[in-house]
Amino acid sequence: MGEVIRKTGKPLQVNPIRLSQPMGATLAFLGVHGCMPLMHGGMGCTSFTKVFLTRHFSEPIAIQTTAVTDVSAVLDGGDTSIPEAVRNITAKVTPSLIGLCSTGLTETKGDDLGGIAGQVDFPLVYVHTTDYEGGLESGWGKAVRAMIDQLTKPCDAVQKGKAILLPHVGLQPIEVERIKEFIARFGYQVHALPDLSTALDGHLGEKQSALSSGGIEVEQIRSLAEAALVISVGASMLPSAAALLNKNPALCHRHFPHLQGLAATDALAAALLAESGRELPHPAIVRWRRRLQDAMLDTHFALGQTRFLVAGEPDFLAGACQALAEAGGRVTLALATVDAPGLDEVPADRVLVGDLEDAEVRQEDYDLVIGNFHCEALAHRHGKGLVLRGFPNWEEVGNQLKNDQLYEGGAYFLCETANAAEHHRRATTHA
Amino acid sequence: MAQKPKIRELLDETACAHSQTRKAACNAPVPGATTGGCAFEGAQISLFPYADAAHLVHGPATCLGASWETRLTRTSWPGRDLTQMGFTTAIGTNDVVFGGETKLRQAIDYLVKHYAPQAVFVYSTCVTAMIGDDLDLICRQAEAAHGLPVVPVHAPGFVGSKNLGSRLAGEAVLMHLIGTLEPENTTPFDINLIGEYNVTGDMWQYSPLLEELGIRILSTLSGDGRVARIRTAHRARLNVLVCAKSLVSLTRKLEERYGTPSISVSFYGRRDTSAGLLAIAEALGDAGLVDRTRQLIGREEARLEQRLAPYRQFFRGRKAVLNTGGNKSWSIASALQDLGIEVVATSVRKATEADREKARQYLGEKGVLMTNPGQEQARIIDETGADLLLAGGRSLYTAIKKRIAFADVNQEKKQSYGGYAGLLNLAEDLKNALENPVFENVARRAPWEK
Repeated sequence: MGEVIRKTGKPLQVNPIRLSQPMGATLAFLGVHGCMPLMHGGMGCTSFTKVFLTRHFSEPIAIQTTAVTDVSAVLDGGDTSIPEAVRNITAKVTPSLIGLCSTGLTETKGDDLGGIAGQVDFPLVYVHTTDYEGGLESGWGKAVRAMIDQLTKPCDAVQKGKAILLPHVGLQPIEVERIKEFIARFGYQVHALPDLSTALDGHLGEKQSALSSGGIEVEQIRSLAEAALVISVGASMLPSAAALLNKNPALCHRHFPHLQGLAATDALAAALLAESGRELPHPAIVRWRRRLQDAMLDTHFALGQTRFLVAGEPDFLAGACQALAEAGGRVTLALATVDAPGLDEVPADRVLVGDLEDAEVRQEDYDLVIGNFHCEALAHRHGKGLVLRGFPNWEEVGNQLKNDQLYEGGAYFLCETANAAEHHRRATTHA
Repeated sequence: MAQKPKIRELLDETACAHSQTRKAACNAPVPGATTGGCAFEGAQISLFPYADAAHLVHGPATCLGASWETRLTRTSWPGRDLTQMGFTTAIGTNDVVFGGETKLRQAIDYLVKHYAPQAVFVYSTCVTAMIGDDLDLICRQAEAAHGLPVVPVHAPGFVGSKNLGSRLAGEAVLMHLIGTLEPENTTPFDINLIGEYNVTGDMWQYSPLLEELGIRILSTLSGDGRVARIRTAHRARLNVLVCAKSLVSLTRKLEERYGTPSISVSFYGRRDTSAGLLAIAEALGDAGLVDRTRQLIGREEARLEQRLAPYRQFFRGRKAVLNTGGNKSWSIASALQDLGIEVVATSVRKATEADREKARQYLGEKGVLMTNPGQEQARIIDETGADLLLAGGRSLYTAIKKRIAFADVNQEKKQSYGGYAGLLNLAEDLKNALENPVFENVARRAPWEK
């Protein structure tokens, strides 16, 4: 582990990669079936979020706003606009749940979401997500925790064979599906909260719904606490796991900082073997482990001579940097969107909480960039290789189908990255 | 505070055709039933294309974090394209409690030092407007300290819609930039292009034609724009408002203040492009120029006609249903007709009275003006035998069900459809859509479906 720089001391962000908490909360609510995310703030917060997510997933995004104006910002504490928004939404559609999150504007005012939520006669979960603190990852985590706190029924017995997955925001829909399948292969019936794998997985539906088009059922969220096993992935999900344990102290919790690479997947497999009492995993898992081992050997030569910049949310950094490091890839700079305790564990020469300007002034330190689409201009300007990952990726389609997790995804990730590194080396040599 | 534009006044625009019928209160968005961007986004759209200026957003993460590097407004500015960069004070809890002014002052100093912009635009946002940071004072001080324009833009999101934000941006330019510099020389044919943002290079489709005619673009707001040029905008002979109703307040005020007349044009499709060029020439009031313009139009239309011939063959007999909003309800219709496609229906759900009239004029008596396109379009496709649906992504399902081609009109376009040459790009894209078998293929029934 190298040095961790938590503050750059700049008075501004230049080419920011930090995203906002309300956006993370919105995305979490979109992983609940039939949910309508409702942002309590100016209409722009919602509009920007809608466009942002629509372009990333190439899918329509359900979301509404309380449309706070300069006048209502002064005269209303949300007690008028929130119930009115709920009335207007439910006049047209019948959501299973309204996911209410605040924004910087309404947090500055100090609106009492909890008090107002108590007066709304409709299933509603509220979460405080100001956008002058935290980021996408923490907003997602807070929304998940709020759903557990406010919806899940306390319970003292467990239902054997039922497992809950709490995935961090960086896991794309297909990755959530693959992790669910992996756990299921040890004999569990698995539910994920949130579950983007059946919502924003890019499937052609019968018609377009005005609400979230898939995800975990609200009824399932209510009965989460009867699960025998809770698996949280990513440090940002620890508070959610704690909230669930609070509902049922009898359930067993296993935490994984990430599920990328051989060692992390081994850890999950070992835990599942122990919990399920099985001797051996499913043959497909055994086979994929061998494939990943082979991929590590096949890619180590290319990765071993490449220096990486990896940019993204803290939980994503933990996994991606570890997967590269296992095959000899050297992450010279890990650029985090926000500060998080887990940054100390990221295997990189230097971990920096900052923006793309900070990465740009250090451009001599790396050859290949792994990060969101804003990294593309930087990579082009300085002739770096590029692998696009994280939010947003507006340049490529199929983001929801990209799998970097577990043995299988680990093999894909190493091969794609090694190919990009080789391609870049050839392009620079021939230039 | 005296410097700040009066929002109520901007909402009640006398030069706006529909303001007679609409009450100001109608502008308040409805909680739970609102779509569309905020005033800050409108200001961004109007001013970010100045690539030689730094655009500093004084607010929390969402405002800029989700919106920088989203617009393909192209520039010929030889320096670093600052439009494609994101600058934000990214205020934190401390700033909210103690005020963000120190941070803002330091941020301006930082970006002037590191990026040497020609000017700095500073945007207030909901949070910083509410905590009362004094943008005017800080901008005035920074302007004096650095010797370059530092313009406060008071368009926090919660004051209203995108449209209002564009007006507020126009006000900022009027108040702080226009008239602060004299041009090196003037010509009798100097014009300003207002509301042309050069998205995907739209402006460059017709600006060479203006140049050929001897019409000089003195300044733009703000496509391929330069701050030094907009400062001289008061010396133009004509303000040309390009497809942007929001900035009509600005052109009216320029007329009041400097006596510059203005016209409103569109450069979308053959007919509008020709009409636009001619309108500019006529407004400049020079008989020779009008003659030259007519000749140029004749030449360009003939050239276009020749290049469109193979497409016309292909488009003959094809019918399209158009479901989009605002002025697109007729401007796209007009372009489609220029290609020889019959537009059997267009949506006027979000259109103004004037847009409706224009749509009727373009579509003729037989054309259907849909007021509830979501319900109507499937039936109309059946009744008319339409081949193509141009709409937002929402309508994709209708096209697949009806097994006809689909083109997403709201998708960020990657190339220009403007001017004469842009029509060829549109023709090529639509030909590709109509020839693509994908809509038929995805509609295949699965083997397990009865």
